[in-house]
Amino acid sequence: MMEFKILGIGILTWITFLPVLGMIVVLALPKDSKSVTRWTSLAFTALQLVLAGVIFMNFGRGIPGVNSLDGMQFKELATWIDIKSVSWFGRIHIDYFVGIDGISTPMVLLTALISFIAVLSSWNIEKSVKGYFALLLLLDTGMMGVFVSLDFFLFYVFWEVMLLPMYFLIGVWGGPRREYAAIKFFIYTLLGSVLMLLVILALYFSVAIVDPATGEKMHTFNMLAMMNPANFEPGSILAGLNTYWRYVAYVGLFIGFAIKVPIFPFHTWLPDAHVEAPTAISVILAGVLLKMGTYGLMRIAFPIFPDAAIYFLYPLAFVGFINIVYGALCAMAQKDFKKLIAYSSVSHMGVVILGMAAMNTQGMVGAMFQMFNHGTITAMLFLIVGVIYDRAHTRGLDDFGGLMNQMPKYSAIMVVAFFAALGLPGLSGFVSEAFSFLGAFQTFRWVTIASTLGIVLTAAYMLWTLQRVFLGTLPEKWKDLPDINGREMVALIPLGIIVLVLGVYPSPMLDIMNSSANALVDFVKSGSGLALLGR
Amino acid sequence: MISIEYYLLLSAFMFCAGVVGVLVRRNAIVVFMCIELMLNAVNLTLITFSAYFGDPRGQVLVFFVMVVAAAEAAVGLAIVIALFRNKLTVNIDEINILKW
Amino acid sequence: MIEQILSNMWYIRPEIALTITCLAAILADVFFKRKALVAGVVLGGLLASGVLLMEQYGVSAPAFSHMLAVDPFSVYFRGVILVTAMFVVLFSLSSVEINNPRLRVGEYYALIVAMTLGMTLMAGSSNMLMMYLSLELTSLSSYILAGFTKNAPASAEASLKYVIFGALSSGLMLYGISILYGLTGSLDIYAINHVLMTMGANRLALLIAGVLIMAGFGYKISAVPFHFWTPDVYEGAPVTITAFLSVASKAAGFSMLMRFMKVTFIDSTFAGPVGTWALIPGFEFTNILIVLSVLTMTLGNLVAVWQKNVKRLLAYSSIAHAGYMLMGLVVLGNDGFAAVLIYFVIYMFMNLGAFFVVMLVSNKTGSEHIDTYKGLGSRAPLLSVAMAIFLVSLTGLPPTAGFIGKLYLFAALINAKMIWLAIVGALNSVVSLYYYVLIFRNMFLREGTGSTEPLKFALSDNIILFLLLIPTLVLGLYFTPLVQFAQYSVAMFGVR
Repeated sequence: MMEFKILGIGILTWITFLPVLGMIVVLALPKDSKSVTRWTSLAFTALQLVLAGVIFMNFGRGIPGVNSLDGMQFKELATWIDIKSVSWFGRIHIDYFVGIDGISTPMVLLTALISFIAVLSSWNIEKSVKGYFALLLLLDTGMMGVFVSLDFFLFYVFWEVMLLPMYFLIGVWGGPRREYAAIKFFIYTLLGSVLMLLVILALYFSVAIVDPATGEKMHTFNMLAMMNPANFEPGSILAGLNTYWRYVAYVGLFIGFAIKVPIFPFHTWLPDAHVEAPTAISVILAGVLLKMGTYGLMRIAFPIFPDAAIYFLYPLAFVGFINIVYGALCAMAQKDFKKLIAYSSVSHMGVVILGMAAMNTQGMVGAMFQMFNHGTITAMLFLIVGVIYDRAHTRGLDDFGGLMNQMPKYSAIMVVAFFAALGLPGLSGFVSEAFSFLGAFQTFRWVTIASTLGIVLTAAYMLWTLQRVFLGTLPEKWKDLPDINGREMVALIPLGIIVLVLGVYPSPMLDIMNSSANALVDFVKSGSGLALLGR
Repeated sequence: MISIEYYLLLSAFMFCAGVVGVLVRRNAIVVFMCIELMLNAVNLTLITFSAYFGDPRGQVLVFFVMVVAAAEAAVGLAIVIALFRNKLTVNIDEINILKW
Repeated sequence: MIEQILSNMWYIRPEIALTITCLAAILADVFFKRKALVAGVVLGGLLASGVLLMEQYGVSAPAFSHMLAVDPFSVYFRGVILVTAMFVVLFSLSSVEINNPRLRVGEYYALIVAMTLGMTLMAGSSNMLMMYLSLELTSLSSYILAGFTKNAPASAEASLKYVIFGALSSGLMLYGISILYGLTGSLDIYAINHVLMTMGANRLALLIAGVLIMAGFGYKISAVPFHFWTPDVYEGAPVTITAFLSVASKAAGFSMLMRFMKVTFIDSTFAGPVGTWALIPGFEFTNILIVLSVLTMTLGNLVAVWQKNVKRLLAYSSIAHAGYMLMGLVVLGNDGFAAVLIYFVIYMFMNLGAFFVVMLVSNKTGSEHIDTYKGLGSRAPLLSVAMAIFLVSLTGLPPTAGFIGKLYLFAALINAKMIWLAIVGALNSVVSLYYYVLIFRNMFLREGTGSTEPLKFALSDNIILFLLLIPTLVLGLYFTPLVQFAQYSVAMFGVR
C-alpha cells in the first residue's frame, strides 16, 4: 500500500493536529481581526476536509482491520513514553499509535465534514471571536484524535481534551441557561470517563505482550493487544472469561460510552446542552460527539470484552428500544424546535444501539451507517433551526406557520432533512435504519417489533412539525423574514447532497464499512478467540 | 517500691485531664495551661519508662520536651497578646471570624 | 565519638547551609534597608542548600547514630521542600500584604528558612526524638508565619487556632511516642522495628500508640479528623504562607509518615513479591489509613463545594488532595509510594500556581472572594487561562500534569486490586471538578460587576507564572524523567 506522508509526517497526524496548528495561528492573530480569524479557521478545516477526501479516495476497501494490526490503514506508530522497568515495576510503554479501519474511517470523514460546516455556520459569532475559533479548533483535534487512536492511553487523552473546550463553547457562547447546561455536560462526561480510566488501568495491568525489540514482557495500552485473549496474563484481574470483574469492567466502560451516546437514563444532559449551545456547537455535539459513544462501544468495549458484550446483549437491545421510543415520545411533546431535534437524536441513536445489539453483519453495518447518516442529517436539522432562530429569535414551534411561501428555498431544504430524519426511502436515513432493524429483527424479534413503534412516532412528530412551521397562516410579524442566504446554503447544500446520494447509492460508504463490520461480528461471536481465555 | 502501673495510670489520668481541658475550656490562657499538663503527663510517662528500663534516652527526650513546651508557650502567649490587641478578648468562642 | 560526629557533618550540609542562611537573614535584616536584599540572601542560601543536596544524590546511609537517614527518599522530599521554599520567597517579593511597611519583613524571611530547615529534617528523621524536634521546629515557625500580618484580625485568629490545634496534636503524638518507647525501650525506629519483630508487643497498646502518633501526622498533612485548623489557617494566613503550608508542610508530614510506617511497622520476614511489603502481623494500620483516606478526600471535596473564599476553597481542596495521596500509602508497595512521590512534585507546581494567581488577584483587588473573579477572563486573560490550567490540573484531566499524578495513584490501587477504593477516589475527582469549575466559571462565563479595566502585572510576576505553568503542562505530556526519578527515590535506608 502507498505511504501517505507530508513532510515525513503521516496523514493521520496531519488530519488530527492541523486544527491545533490553526488554533496557534488564530491565537497569534491580533485581537480585532475578526474576519481574518474566521477565514483562517475555515482554511484549516477546509484543509482537513481535503485530507479526509484523500483518505476516502485511497482507503483500501475490503480490508477488515478491527483487531489485526495489518488491517489498519494509514497507521503510524511511534514511542511516546518509555520508562525502563525497575525491580518492582514493569516497563511503562505508551505509543503514539494511530490507524483507521472500516469502523473509524466514516467517523473521520464525518468529523472533518462537520468541523468544516461548524466553522461556516459560526460566521455570525461576534463575542470574543478569537477565543471561540481557538476552542472550536481544539475541540476538532480532540474529536479527530479519538477516532484515529489505537492506543488506549492516547484515546483517553483525546477523549478528555474535548471536555474543556466544549464546556467553554457552551458556557460562554450559549443561550440563557448556558451555565447550567455546560456544567451538567462537563460533570456527566467526566463521571463516565473516570470510570473508563479505571477500566483502562485494569486492562493495562491484565494485558502483557512481549516487546519484539528486547524480548521483555511488558504491559501495554495497545488496544489491538487488549483484543487478543492470549495476551491476558493468567491470574490478573481481567483474565478469564465471564468473570465478575470482566462484567464490572464492561459495565464501567459501557457507562462511560453510554453517557456520550447518550443512552437512557444517562441522557438528561443532552437536551440542555443541545438547546443552550450555539448552532455550530449543537451541530458538532449531535453530529460527532454522540458518535463517540457508539464508536467506543464498537471499537473498544465489544472486541475487548466479547464475553461480556454477548452476556449483556439483550439489555443493550432493550435500552436501544427505550431510547428509540422514549426519545420519540419526548420529541413529540416539545414546543421548542431545538429541543425537539435534541430528543430526535436520542431516538435515532437508539437505532444505532439496536443495530449494534443485533450482533450480525446487517445490524452492525446498519449501526455504523446510521452513525454517519445521523451525523449529516442532524447537522442539517440543527443548521435549519439556527437559520430560523437567527432571523426570528425564537424557536417556539407554535410561533411559526405558513413559512412555505415566505421562505421557499429554506422550506425545500428543510423538507429534505425532515424526510431523511424520518427515514423516507430514497434518502440516506432509510438505508441505515432498514439495515439496523432488519439485523435486529433476526436476533431480537419482539424488541425490534416494539421499536418500530418509534418509526411511526418519528414520522408523526416530524410531519406535525413541518405542518406547524410551513402550513397554516403566516403570522403578521414574520411578513418580511428573508429567505436563506448564500453562506447558509453553502453549509446546508453539501449535506443535503450527501443525504440524497447515499440514499440512492449507498455503496461508497457501505464498501468502506462492510468488511470491518463483518470482521467485528465474527470476532465477537467466534468461539475460537474465546476458547483461549478459558484456560 | 511503688509499682510502675501507678505512675502510668497517674500520667494517663493527667493526660486525659489535659485533653479534656483543651477541648472544653474557653479561655485561651487556660487552654495553654492544659496543653502544658498534657506535655507534663507525657514527661512523667517517659521518665517512668526510662527509670524502669534503666535507659537514659527517655529522660533526654524529656529535656527536649520541656524546652519545646517553653518555646510553644512563648509563641502561643505572644499570639494571644496579638489577638487581644485586636479583639480585647481571650475567649475562644468570641474568636470566630473564620467559620466553615 | 567526636570523629564520628565530625565525619557525619557531611550528611547535614544542606541543613547547615540553611542554618547559616537563617542567621544571615537575621543579620541582613539589621544591616540592609531594602528588604528585597534579605530575600536575595535567603534565595541564595536556599539555592546553596539545594546544590549541597544534589551531592547527596545516590547516598544511602544513617547519620548521627541513626538520628537521621540520608537516602534517595529524603533527598527527593528535601528537594520538593527547597523548591517550594524558593517559590514562596519569590511570591513574597511581589506580595502586597507581606511588604506592608508596618511589618518586619526581615524576620519573615528568617522564619521561612527556619521552617524549611525543620521540614528538611522531618524528611530524614529516623528517630522519634528527631521526629518530634523537627516537627516542632516546623510548627513553631509556621505558627508565627500564619499570624505574621498580625494587624489583620483573621490572621491573628488563624494563628491562635493553629497553635492550639498544633499543640494538641503534638501532645497526642508525644504520648503515643512515650507509649511506643515503653513498649520497646527505644526511640530509634529501626530498633523499635527489631524489638517488635523479635519480641512482639501488646496489640492494643501498639494500636493506641499508632493512632496517637497518627494524630501528629494527620495534623501535619491535614487529614480528617485532624483537619479543623486547615481552612481557618489557610484563609487567615498570608497567601504566601498558605501556599507554603499547603505544599511543603504537607510534603514534610507525608515523608515522615511514610518513613515511620515503612520502617517501624514493616514485617521484615515478609517474602512476597519484590516491591511490596506487609505490616507486622496483627497490626491493622492499613484499615485505619483507608478510613482516613476516604474520609479526608470525601469531606474535603464536599465541603469545598460551599466555599465562597477562594483561599478557603483551595484549603479544602488541599485536604482532599491529602486524601488522594493517602490512597498511595495503603497499597503497601513501592508503586504506591512512587505514586505519592510523583503526585507531590506535580501537586507542588499546580497548587503553588493556583495560590500565586490568588495572590496576584488579591494584590490588585484586595479580595479573595470568589465574586472578585467575575469577568477576570477579559481583564487579565493570561492570568485567567493559567488559573484555568492549574485548576484543570488539580481536577486531574489530561493533558495536564495532575492527570499523571492521579493516573499513577489509581494504577497503584488497581495493581493492588483495591478497586473499590479507586472508584471512591475517581468519583471524588468528579465532585472536585464542580468547585474548581466555579472559579473559572466566574472568570470566563460571568461579567464583572465592578471595574472592567485590564489588570497589568509586572514582568517578574509573569515569569514566575510561566515557571509554574510550563511544568504543569509539560509533565502531563512527557513524564518519563519524573517517574524515573520518583521510582528511584522510593528507596529508603535500611529497608528493602
